[in-house]
Amino acid sequence: MVNAQLPITTPPKYNFPLPSMHAENLQLPKQFVELSLRSLKKLENTQQMSKRNSENSSLINENSKIDFPRLIRLKPNQTSTPVMAIDVSSIKIGETETGLLLAIRGAIIWKHANRYQYLRIGPFPFHIYEENKNLISSILRNHSQLAQFQDFTIPNSFYIQSRLTAIFERWIQTSINQITNNSLILFDGSLASGSFEHSLESITQMLRTARSNQNIILAFSKMTRLVFRGQRLTDLILKHPPPCLLKMANYFTNTRLTHFFGSVYVAKLSGANYAFRLDIDNAIPEIKAIEAVKKLLGNDLILQSYPETLRLAHIYSTFTAAEVLGIQRWISQEADLRIITKPNLRRLLFGRFGKGPEG
Amino acid sequence: MRLYKKEGSTIQIISFPSERVNKGDYLVIADSSTGKGIIVQVVEIQYANIPGFLEELLRSCNDDYSIQGEDVDPFEMSNHIRYIQDAHLLICKIRAVYSNKGPVFASSLLPSRSRAKIKKISTERLFAQKKPNIKYLANLGETTEKNQLEVDIRALDGSLNIITGKKGTGKSHISKLLTLSLVSQGAPVVILDLNSEYTGLGQDSDGKPNRFHKQIHILTPGHNLKVTLKQLKLGVMTSILVNALNLPGTSAREFRRIWRFLEQNGNLTMQDLGSAIKSWKCNQHVRDALFSRYYTILGSGLFTDDPMQAISLEDSLKKSRVGGAVVIDLRDTSTIDRLIVVEYVLGKIVELLSRWKLKAIFLFAEEAHLYLRETYWDDIVTRMRHFGVFTTFITNQPDTIRENIYRQADNLFLFNFTNEHDLETISRASKVDAETIKSIAHDLPLHHCVVLGNIVNDFPIVVKVRKLDVYAKGHTRLFFSSKTNFREVIQQ
Ligand SMILES: Nc1ncnc2c1ncn2[C@@H]1O[C@H](COP(=O)(O)OP(=O)(O)OP(=O)(O)O)[C@@H](O)[C@H]1O
Ligand SMILES: [Mg+2]
Repeated sequence: MVNAQLPITTPPKYNFPLPSMHAENLQLPKQFVELSLRSLKKLENTQQMSKRNSENSSLINENSKIDFPRLIRLKPNQTSTPVMAIDVSSIKIGETETGLLLAIRGAIIWKHANRYQYLRIGPFPFHIYEENKNLISSILRNHSQLAQFQDFTIPNSFYIQSRLTAIFERWIQTSINQITNNSLILFDGSLASGSFEHSLESITQMLRTARSNQNIILAFSKMTRLVFRGQRLTDLILKHPPPCLLKMANYFTNTRLTHFFGSVYVAKLSGANYAFRLDIDNAIPEIKAIEAVKKLLGNDLILQSYPETLRLAHIYSTFTAAEVLGIQRWISQEADLRIITKPNLRRLLFGRFGKGPEG
Repeated sequence: MRLYKKEGSTIQIISFPSERVNKGDYLVIADSSTGKGIIVQVVEIQYANIPGFLEELLRSCNDDYSIQGEDVDPFEMSNHIRYIQDAHLLICKIRAVYSNKGPVFASSLLPSRSRAKIKKISTERLFAQKKPNIKYLANLGETTEKNQLEVDIRALDGSLNIITGKKGTGKSHISKLLTLSLVSQGAPVVILDLNSEYTGLGQDSDGKPNRFHKQIHILTPGHNLKVTLKQLKLGVMTSILVNALNLPGTSAREFRRIWRFLEQNGNLTMQDLGSAIKSWKCNQHVRDALFSRYYTILGSGLFTDDPMQAISLEDSLKKSRVGGAVVIDLRDTSTIDRLIVVEYVLGKIVELLSRWKLKAIFLFAEEAHLYLRETYWDDIVTRMRHFGVFTTFITNQPDTIRENIYRQADNLFLFNFTNEHDLETISRASKVDAETIKSIAHDLPLHHCVVLGNIVNDFPIVVKVRKLDVYAKGHTRLFFSSKTNFREVIQQ
């Protein structure tokens, strides 16, 4: 049973050593820590469960009315610009008699004086089980400060894991945008309000903060599924010499569940035959957006078309097998929860390692 | 600590950073469900093989730059993670299995992984199972847990021992320690001292006589080790001629006749021996052969015709019967003379033993390959052992001792070796498994040795050999000694 002896008292403050960041401190989301703590406690009252509707929206767009992608050639801009990257990972730590244990961790990487530096936040443990799923989802709902919670059914664990991860990621993204200016901020993912995220408000807020601080957010994601007139977008760009972008005008259209905040590009930033989807806030004029990519080329190491800062953020947030074991140890010693099935570490390693829900 | 794996006589145990375990330590794996326990020794410490650790390193490895940073870890999980990352795998060898009633033979015992309790066990507790007689305890030094290692010196009785290790690790030092322990227990010791290292045994480190002073007899061939032919048995002389000086059989037969002739006439002197060979009626080749040996013997200075000059080895040995060491100082003796002297000394010892003038003798032989003839090796472990010669070989070249000697050795004092070939030689032939020898000996610090055999109840134990307050002689002579002042050297 978790008790007052848990090492956490007040959320610690952290001063970023990066000069370009404002003096404000990064304050850990108190609610997030509390949620974690509460989840580890057992709840007495049981509540009814009902099935959740499955939701999934394909990103494949075969709409023939899409404009033909426009090629933009790039030249690196060496103007010194801070580059920062954010990534968050979550992992299943094991199953208890009643539910599921998760851990979430975020990493921020920035380049300072030609050196990469990191700040990692977490891991945060969560215990999700039937009796507290409702509680968690109601807290999540409150946290997202959004009145119209679209999915009122009781969510499954997978959903909760994704939501917790998304909320934590959004919190870090917002905090970083608050305390920095004139920087390039790299995300893993797209600039769309996910169907399960219900955070139209939070993403709008975050982008607004970024704009007011002259930050530009560059969101990178894999795009193997994107197709244009039967051709994969990756193949479309590969014949062009790097670095270059393909602008995909009105490729995505907003739906009831998903709102797109980004202009979508296909980015081939270095020589190797790799390309990524790149979302840039569509409220920013295109010329500024393109300039931001040029600055990225001039300020970060690009390997296989991917910015090194972002790669490092991914590596630093991802859980390793030893870390999973260490967290399991923490759970059994500090939280007094018995783990009955542990994830297969070998499988973890060779599967999608510690990145997001793995079902 | 948790039991992980058992393969034959090897047990693998996972240990965590808070549990300090050293190579050579003993652990007891107690399984209360069966009432049995296993005593194992840690012979190797490795990193625990955490799945994916290599991948982890590879992923976070950036060759051009190192990343610095900080973790905000509100739940303080990093300690737990580090605990896992720093877990060790202890490779252990089973040394004994016991039940509530005492030691049992059950190498197939498989303790429960979930219930077995694993604890360190001190060497004191290890030995407590077999109470030695306090009277015969000798302090060898300190174990890794800082306990004094007291062994029953009687374990050397009747046994063959080997002290080996690379140069300067402390082999002669421990053999001095053993010598003095034996002497103080009233045992007679003979040392074949190649470098005049043992001649200070009767003095303290300042060179003043110590409590052993009267019990240490230093004999230098040609100086105070001289014999008349009358004191010598014909058998000893012929073995010198045949074994040390390769005198052929026919010549040896002729020599015996000459000897008996001189003996009958009461003229058994070196001088008369010379004249007799000259005038003896025999084949010219035989005469030449005898003459060349005669001059070698004469030149050795070991023999005298003056009974006043003769100092008998027998007297020194007899004095040692109640505890004493006879140091045969061979430093300034030439190779050939050494063969003669050793042949004489061993011959004399066997003669005294066979006539029961001596009960037994402990022989310490430094670098024996330099003066021990081929056939003696087997002799020492068989015939001479039966007579009561209990030998300790000391060498820094393990391959100069034959494999069968290692096999028969009852005790082995092994100092550091880094040379794989040397370790291979020893591990191939010793009674303990190769892994123990290689892994432990490889990491032994200076003046530390691993003791194997009866003397430690077959529990190999690492010991830091204790200091001795004896006059240190026989330091390797150095040109660039710290005291050398070159200006002085040049001005002299
Ligand atoms: N346990 C010990 N405590 C203190 N000094 C020691 C110890 N063992 C050895 N020494 C010192 O270290 C030096 C080397 O020791 P020793 O002569 O016994 O080594 P060795 O192995 O016999 O060397 P070599 O191969 O040259 O014969 C000597 O000066 C000796 O006094
Ligand atoms: Mg020596």
